[in-house]
Amino acid sequence: MWKLAQAYSASFEEKLKGITFSMQDFLFFSLRAFRAIGASKRYWRDVLDQAYICGTESLPILLVSALSIGSLIVIEVGHQLAEFGAKTMTGRSVALSVVREISPLVAGLMLAARIGARNSSELGAMQISEQIDALRAFGTDPIAKLVVPRLVASFLMFIPLIALCDLVGLISGAYLAEWDLHLDRGIYWNSVIDILRPMDWLVGFSKPPVFAIGISLISCYTGFSTTGGTAGVGKSTIKGIVYSSAFVLVMNFYLSKVILDLMRG
Amino acid sequence: MIELRNVSLRYGAREILKNVSLTIEDKKVKAILGPSGVGKSTIIKLMLGLIKPTSGQVLVDDVDITHFSEVELFPIRQKMGIVFQGNALFDSMTITENMSFFLRENLNLPENEIVARVQEQMKFAGLEGFENNLPDSLSGGMRKRVAIGRALIFHPSMILFDEPTAGLDPVSSKKILDLIKRLQSEIGLGAVIVTHILSDVFAVADSVAVLYQGGIIFNDVPQKLYDSTHSFITSFLSNPED
Ligand SMILES: Nc1ncnc2c1ncn2[C@@H]1O[C@H](COP(=O)(O)OP(=O)(O)O)[C@@H](O)[C@H]1O
Ligand SMILES: [Mg+2]
Repeated sequence: MWKLAQAYSASFEEKLKGITFSMQDFLFFSLRAFRAIGASKRYWRDVLDQAYICGTESLPILLVSALSIGSLIVIEVGHQLAEFGAKTMTGRSVALSVVREISPLVAGLMLAARIGARNSSELGAMQISEQIDALRAFGTDPIAKLVVPRLVASFLMFIPLIALCDLVGLISGAYLAEWDLHLDRGIYWNSVIDILRPMDWLVGFSKPPVFAIGISLISCYTGFSTTGGTAGVGKSTIKGIVYSSAFVLVMNFYLSKVILDLMRG
Repeated sequence: MIELRNVSLRYGAREILKNVSLTIEDKKVKAILGPSGVGKSTIIKLMLGLIKPTSGQVLVDDVDITHFSEVELFPIRQKMGIVFQGNALFDSMTITENMSFFLRENLNLPENEIVARVQEQMKFAGLEGFENNLPDSLSGGMRKRVAIGRALIFHPSMILFDEPTAGLDPVSSKKILDLIKRLQSEIGLGAVIVTHILSDVFAVADSVAVLYQGGIIFNDVPQKLYDSTHSFITSFLSNPED
């Protein structure tokens, strides 16, 4: 029994050491990426390519998600409000939850899956096929060439993407409120515009840059640290998606909490 | 000249290389023979500073590069081309782009010089007519030759091969080995060839080091392998497929 406990604590200790080591490694990796950020000028073509992949190609799935968000909130919240004879408040609830929370969160999760999977699998495949070693061997910094364009592209694209999601979410809410609750669209939009303060936009738009940095660095790091052949690429892809999504979930909460607390004094 | 001095390397608790000392002379073809998983690729990467040893030193032309940064390593690496086991070509670039990429990246050469250097390598490797092909559309032997062309693009004085014939058919293997020989005789290019294939060693190597269980157990001309009494070498000679 004692032996077993010892074995467990030993392997736990090993794991803990491993985690601490990777965290430190990840920190160094991130620092190197930030230090190399100037390379985005040199690799502007790669930045454009990545911006296309992460922006334009992500658009359809994001818009579909945004469409369902707005409608969903109207169905859930609008009917509740209608019961109390307060269906004119629907616009307010939709606006606050879409702009501050749900749109960044859902878009962030979608992007975590898309960008996370893509970066970690693509860079993982490059790692195991020694293409990353080849870059280094012939004098090109792989972080500048591969990580910086991905980081910069997503940083530039996430805000407009999430702004579009906000817009589509609100519009879909308006239509559903009209069809489902027979709420006049003018009233809906008036209450939307009434309730949204700069603080709400601040909360909503503080998220995409943070998500962009987190998702890119996490997924590029898991890609770069791939070992163990094709199975290893599978593992890093899982890690890339899971860690990126977890990051989005956690940061979404903290950013809302911290900014709202600060603003409310 | 490349020199490993008492180099040890461990991954976690596993010691891959134990106190390995080895000298690679210029203009000579040196083979490093060993079973798979013994640390052959690791040795090549140590020579380029792609991996740092746990202890010991790596010297290139009498300069200790063990603790060099990536920037400091670049001029050293330019002296040594590398051909990776799986070639490590960039699959979205054409053959010419694969060869010219690092020239454009790292040397400020005029465009006509870049074109000339790429053409020179295409010709030497017998790849004319395939300039605009993607790597995936070529045979294994041709991809290997593209990788060799890329490795020579900085005009190095030494070229490192990680299992150059692994996975190739006998005819392509022979072509690659002939190319290595030609590089040595025509432009005096030294080479390191790590391999687990005995016939490669006899085909091209001036000398051979045998790596086994983390250490060098033999280091001499290939013919002397037959005089060795080490059980691994005798069994390897009688059963070279292992
Ligand atoms: N990054 C790494 N982490 C842990 N072990 C590794 C790593 N790279 C290589 N190894 C191990 O080191 C040993 C030597 O690897 P390698 O040099 O690729 O062998 P070879 O090229 O001779 O087949 C192998 O057993 C391999 O599993
Ligand atoms: Mg190997």
